[in-house]
Amino acid sequence: MATRFEFVLLGEDKVRLRAAGEEALAEIQALEKRLSFYSQTSELSQINRRAAREPVRVASDVFELLQTALRLSQATDGAFDPTVAPLMRCWGFVRSTGRFPDERELSDARRVTGMNLVHLDEENSTIRFTRPGVELDLGGIAKGYALDEAAAHLRSAGIEHALLHGGTSTIVAMGRSFDESRWRVGIVRKDASILGTVELSDCTMSVSAVTGKAFVRDGMVYGHVIDPRTGKPAKGASLAAVVAESATVSDALSTAALLLGFEAHIISDLCTGWGIDIVQSQSEAFIQERLPGFRAVT
Amino acid sequence: MPQTQIFPLQLGFMAKLPNLVSLDRRSFLKKSSLGTLAGFMATGERIPSQIYTRHTDEKPRETVGCAVIGFGAWGREIAATLSRNEEADLIAICDNYEVMLQRAQRSLPGVSTHIDYREILDNPEIKSVCIATPTHLHREIVIAALDAGKHVYCEAPLASTTEDARAIARAAKAASGQIFQGGLLYRTEPQYRSVFQFIRSGALGRSVFARAQWHEKVSWRRISPNRDRENALNWRLDASVSIGLIGEVGIQQLDTASWILNSLPSAVSGFGNVLFWKDGRDVADSVQVVMEFPSGVRMIYDASLVTSFDAMYDTFYGSDSTIILRDSKAWMFKEVDAPMLGWEVYARKDKFYKETGISLLANATKLDALGQDPTADDPDVETPLFHALKTFTENYFFGPYLPIVDYQRAFEATVVAIKANEAVVGNTRIEFEPEWFVV
Repeated sequence: MATRFEFVLLGEDKVRLRAAGEEALAEIQALEKRLSFYSQTSELSQINRRAAREPVRVASDVFELLQTALRLSQATDGAFDPTVAPLMRCWGFVRSTGRFPDERELSDARRVTGMNLVHLDEENSTIRFTRPGVELDLGGIAKGYALDEAAAHLRSAGIEHALLHGGTSTIVAMGRSFDESRWRVGIVRKDASILGTVELSDCTMSVSAVTGKAFVRDGMVYGHVIDPRTGKPAKGASLAAVVAESATVSDALSTAALLLGFEAHIISDLCTGWGIDIVQSQSEAFIQERLPGFRAVT
Repeated sequence: MPQTQIFPLQLGFMAKLPNLVSLDRRSFLKKSSLGTLAGFMATGERIPSQIYTRHTDEKPRETVGCAVIGFGAWGREIAATLSRNEEADLIAICDNYEVMLQRAQRSLPGVSTHIDYREILDNPEIKSVCIATPTHLHREIVIAALDAGKHVYCEAPLASTTEDARAIARAAKAASGQIFQGGLLYRTEPQYRSVFQFIRSGALGRSVFARAQWHEKVSWRRISPNRDRENALNWRLDASVSIGLIGEVGIQQLDTASWILNSLPSAVSGFGNVLFWKDGRDVADSVQVVMEFPSGVRMIYDASLVTSFDAMYDTFYGSDSTIILRDSKAWMFKEVDAPMLGWEVYARKDKFYKETGISLLANATKLDALGQDPTADDPDVETPLFHALKTFTENYFFGPYLPIVDYQRAFEATVVAIKANEAVVGNTRIEFEPEWFVV
């Protein structure tokens, strides 16, 4: 995840709040060690090394996360896809700033991309890849999952009101803010100006935007958000925000919504039961006032 | 060559030799891979994590059944580490709190869970137990485990009183056919071991002094909706059973100093206060000790829960050079009049403000050439705990031989930690009596 996590915890006893927060942060650190794509010693890396050869038994919490990832991938028609790593590597965005791949490379990478190549056996709690070269990178969902786990830990410690975020892009709002109002959160544009604000309570929000690593070729800008369906950098919206009951879900769907762009409403139809609202924009004109308490800043 | 790739090749060769076929893996390993591992140690090279990681299709032919008693934060770390150790078969978890067992069931598939540790000791499939309960509860469980014929890995410190520590050490000494390893992590950490050899070869010149620290801004407080559980969880903050920061954390670095300086300390002076976490605790949140060694060298150590600045490191100062160890990495800073060693011309050098450190990381130049920063955290480096537990499980197959951290070393380190805490609590100086270290 390599992300800064911050919590605001409300309550009477500062000592207990601090202690609960420390433990919740420790939970996130422990999950990072288990789910890191980059560490060869993580559970995820063990899966990536072995699952093409044999079914790999995984812990039940990780198995549930993988099941969720599979369902979200299916619900978004592959716009959210945790097997996108070979494409990212092929476009030079893994530990680098990007490059234009040749057709052969691209086609090879696409052959090993897709959650249809991942088989989950619920009875034995195992995962198997049906083709060598498949890799799982849970970077698009693990941050949200870690925040959900941290929030669950805080609730079990008796904390009712809190705001948690990971990298400012995924937020968990528990209970109410200082003055009993809902937590008011800004959505920020690429240029750091505020697009609008939403009011959250007992829900989560994730925002994805096309920022960060990119390269220019023949006057075209190629960003690091790769569309698994086309194998090429995204051409959808410039920003997408998703509100959901679970940060695991909002984290994954905000990436998908970014890729789907104007088709984002499709996710709403496909994801009935996930409890989500979506806003996506290519420009301010397309902001929809569907998020709770959304107010555009003019 | 990675150790794991050696097994199938040599086992295949053995099959052609009728007189060797009957060797089981445990005795075979004594004759084969130990030499490879010793080779790595002798060269002083950093052992890559892959040496301990099985990358072939072959599954281990034999594993040692393990259990973890105590599933708090450190017990969970031990369990997770054993899960990565392919020679260990983690069979059972024990904790006296049901919520912890539910947690174990969720994160460790197929592992049985137990409230009563005696159920683990009664299980003949479990050969080795790792004990990670609160320090003051070690004694009863360790002795019962040894009596039950189990191999024991006991977290450091062994106990919070010298009486309990001596009782544990005596039981371990009496159980001579069983492995007893104390949890002093750096004596089995590859980078520390290679630097240890380097220092022993005279790289420092005349030792001048040592300095080490452990800083982390955390409260150490734990909470639970259940008040009794909360009191039990906060044993480290209870001076009646806790030997504080110097005992629970500092023991590792005090032991490193004794090891590298090749001597037990002759005296310790301590200081400590609750400076920041004024929440009713009586265990100091910041401590400093000065350890005196017979050679005249002193070690200054501080540990704090108030500042996180500069985290953790160990530094050894000498007339020819100073060596700093941190995060499984090490650098040497040479004096201008120090003799040339030869190889340092080719070594990677890193700037630290106005000083230039020669990297003692064996593959630093290679990493640099690959565009990876050798000073950055390396996600592939295994933790000191991994190496400690790997040493423990390998002893099951290679041994039993006297572990690097045997009952005597673990006892000595525990006595030093307990006395250092007494010095901190009393803001006083204590001279060690040689008989204190006799088991």
